[in-house]
Parts: sequence; C-alpha cells; structure tokens
Amino acid sequence: MAEYTTLKTLDYKGLKCPMPIVKISQELPKIAVGEVVEVLTTDPGSLSDFPAWAKTTGNAILETKQESGLIKIYVKRQK
Amino acid sequence: MDTQLSRDLKRLFETRLNSAMKMYLETCTRCGNCLDSCHVGASIPEIKYTAVGRAEVIRKVFRRYFKMQGSFAPWLGEVLEFDDGTLERIYEAAYSCTGCRRCMVHCPFGIDTQQLMSIAKALLIGADKEPKLLSMLSDMSIAKGEGIEETKASYAEAITNLEADVLALWPTAAEAEGAFSRPMPLEAKGADLLYVGLAGAHSIVPAAAIMNAAKERWSLSFFEAVNFGAFVGDSRKMKAIAQRIIDEAIGLGVKEVAIVECGTAFRVMRHFMGKQPFKVIAFVELIDRYLSQGRITLDKSKITEKVTYHDPCQIARNGGVIEEPRRVLRALTEYFVELRPTKEENWCCGGGGGLVAMGEMEFRMKSSKVKAEQMRASKAAIITTACENCHSQLSDLNEHYALGMKVEFLSHLVAKALVRPGQSYRL
Repeated sequence: MAEYTTLKTLDYKGLKCPMPIVKISQELPKIAVGEVVEVLTTDPGSLSDFPAWAKTTGNAILETKQESGLIKIYVKRQK
Repeated sequence: MDTQLSRDLKRLFETRLNSAMKMYLETCTRCGNCLDSCHVGASIPEIKYTAVGRAEVIRKVFRRYFKMQGSFAPWLGEVLEFDDGTLERIYEAAYSCTGCRRCMVHCPFGIDTQQLMSIAKALLIGADKEPKLLSMLSDMSIAKGEGIEETKASYAEAITNLEADVLALWPTAAEAEGAFSRPMPLEAKGADLLYVGLAGAHSIVPAAAIMNAAKERWSLSFFEAVNFGAFVGDSRKMKAIAQRIIDEAIGLGVKEVAIVECGTAFRVMRHFMGKQPFKVIAFVELIDRYLSQGRITLDKSKITEKVTYHDPCQIARNGGVIEEPRRVLRALTEYFVELRPTKEENWCCGGGGGLVAMGEMEFRMKSSKVKAEQMRASKAAIITTACENCHSQLSDLNEHYALGMKVEFLSHLVAKALVRPGQSYRL
C-alpha cells in the first residue's frame, strides 16, 4: 500500500467528456509540487485517461481504487 | 516576430494551398449571403464574427505572401504580414468559428470557412499559439493508445462494475452464452460491431442496453471516440488518435464501427480517415436500423411532453445523417416538433470547434443567443440531440437563458423506452 496524505478530494462524478481531464489540468497548478489529491469519478475511461494524462504532463498517478462503480484516483503533482 | 518564424509560417501556409483552398481564397464576391449565416455573427453583429470577416483575415495573409501585388507592393491593397497582431486576429477568427459550415450552405460558391480556418489553426500551431489545452488532450489520447495494454484490466473491472446499470435498462446480454453473454463485451472476437464511447458511463450504459436488446454481436472499445486533434486542427494528431480505433477494429475483424453520440468523432472516422475494411456509422443510424428491422420496439407512452431535436452540425449538415434521428423520434413519441430553422439550416449549438472543452463560457453564451431564442420558440419541454458536445452546450444555454427545458441524449430516451418481453406498451 502506498503511503501518502491527500490534500483534498475532487469530485468529478458524472462529468461529461472531456471534463475530468480538463478539470484536473486546471486544478493541479493550484497545489504545490509534491502534494497529492484524491479524484472521485464514475468514468471507467478515467482509468486509462488519467495515466495517459500523467505521462503527457509529467505528473504521477500513485494509486487507483474501485468500489462498486466509484473510482478513486490519487494524483501527485510532480512539476 | 523573427524572420525565420515568418518564413516557416509562409511555408506552412503554402502546404495548405490545394486547388480547393485557392478557390476559397480567391473566389469571394462579397455578395453578403453569409453575413446572417453564422450564429456568432447573428448573435453579436460584428463583421469579424461573420464567415467573410473570418475568411478575410486569412485572405489578407494570402495576398501578402502569395499574390504579386502583396509581395511587391503591399501598400496598394489590404494585406496582413505575420506579426503578433496578425496572429491574434488569426486566433480570434479560428476560435470564434465552431466549424459548423452553415455559411457554406448559403455561399453561392460553396466556400468552406471551416477549411479556411484549418489554415488558421495550422498557422497557430506553427507559431506555438494554439490552445494548449486542446493540444494536451490530443497528446493524452495518443499516449493512451500507446499504453492501453497497461490499463485494460482496470478498465475491464470498471466495466464489470457497470453491468447492473445496463441490466436495469435491458435485462439480458446480447446472447446467453459465449463471447456476447456479458452486458458489455470487451475484446469479443467474432463481433460484428465495435462500439466506441466517450469519457463517462453515460456514453456506454444506455447504448449497451439498446445493442443487447437488438441482440447485436458487439464489442466495447477501450478508447474514447472524441478527437481533439481535429478540434485543434492538427491533422497528424487527428489521424494518430483515430488510428487507435482503426487498429482495434481491424484486430477484432468487425464489419462496422458505431460512433457514440459525438459529432466530431463521427465525422473524423467516416469522412477523414479514408477507406477502411469496416463501415463507420453514427449510433443514431444504428438505432434507426434496429427499429426498421424490428429488432427493438419503443413504448410511446414514456414521453408525454413536446420534444424537439437539435441536429448536430457534424452529423447532419456535414455528415448527411438527417432523416434517421427523425424516424427514431417518430417511433419514440407522438410529440416531436421541429426546431425552426431545422435540418441543414439548423443553428449550430455554439459549442463546437473545441469551445466546450476550452471553457469560454461567456463567449459561448453571448455568441449563441440565436440558438437560445430558437430553442425557446420551439415551446418544447425536452430538447434532444445526438452529440455530447451539443448536449453540453445546450445544457449551458438552457441554464444561462433560463429556458426551463430538459436536455436529453436521444440514445438515453430510446434506452428508457425499450419494450421488454411481455411488457404492455403503446406504439
């Protein structure tokens, strides 16, 4: 299990395309490098989109969790 | 602006000068037919928001670098040199145009403003002035294609978690056994059709129920259909994004690829990617086919209010899918009314060309006043459409202008009206 503290939770449940990625792109510059946010989403595509976005932007996905339709993604700002 | 960049932009412009583009650049007779065609110009009456106003920015650059007079005596005519001010004008022209091509319908020469704006968008990319968000979303889609094997298992788990939602709309999978016995088959060899959704369960669950009801042998794509490469005007990225889906479809050996309710995704796959060993259809075409073949039946008692339909520009005017949604609506309700103007003449929602993704709320609301007025004049309680981008923009207009309508995806209305075996219904 990864060890980290989440700064805040971002609720992206039920958002339409491409808002989960748009919103995380807008949100991450607001936190300090090294900090972690928890994203809640119901979009199955986010499990592929967020890692691809992290690779593209130089950030990191620390962990993903799934609980009966709710997806939790832990995003660390790296740059 | 340094001389090298100016030379590079000129060369970039030159690569776009095919015979059609030259005709668009040289033929305009200033007849004025397009002045009232653009929803932006009709909502904000300024010449820069008309088709001819936008085209003129590109024409002035064309005259400066590719016409004798502009090259040797630029002071004699209206020309624009590449500099920061010109790039700002090019940006405003390109990103105040949604690429709806309503102006082209009214132009006696068929001048394609969207094509002219593709020059503008290419120049902005060349000058590193394009909307970075759209480029990032394009890069993300390409990276997703490169790393898809790493995330297939978690995606499959998420899809399994949505199965109950599909079964709530339609109680069985397409087949009782084998590859099509799951409500949302993934990598199903032998599938006839690949369905490509978007970000969000809402783009998958109702469609899955409809295809299962029709006993379609289908497989769900791992990719999202939307193509931000097209929005930002980067043809290389556009093709790379579409190619992920093409490779997946060829790998499965499907006969058809059905594109989710997304106008740009449909137009790119159907019209910009050349001949493929499969047919590309919009999801609304698939629903229409199921109805005509008697593979699904809809209960007309579900909708008791007036419903209107917004033709997505890239599906209707630019894609030719116009009568199919109307046949679906007539099977769905007795209360269908047309927007006026409608079909090829329908007003763009105002959210295309990447504007919804970019935010731009103030501009989108101001520039789509005529759309809001058209929606209100329909007196419909529900406005339905077959495009995610349009749905988002219509929802924003509905709220901003307090229209009091319900904005619905056509596929969602269909999924909720599916007649189950043994159920009583009204045709």
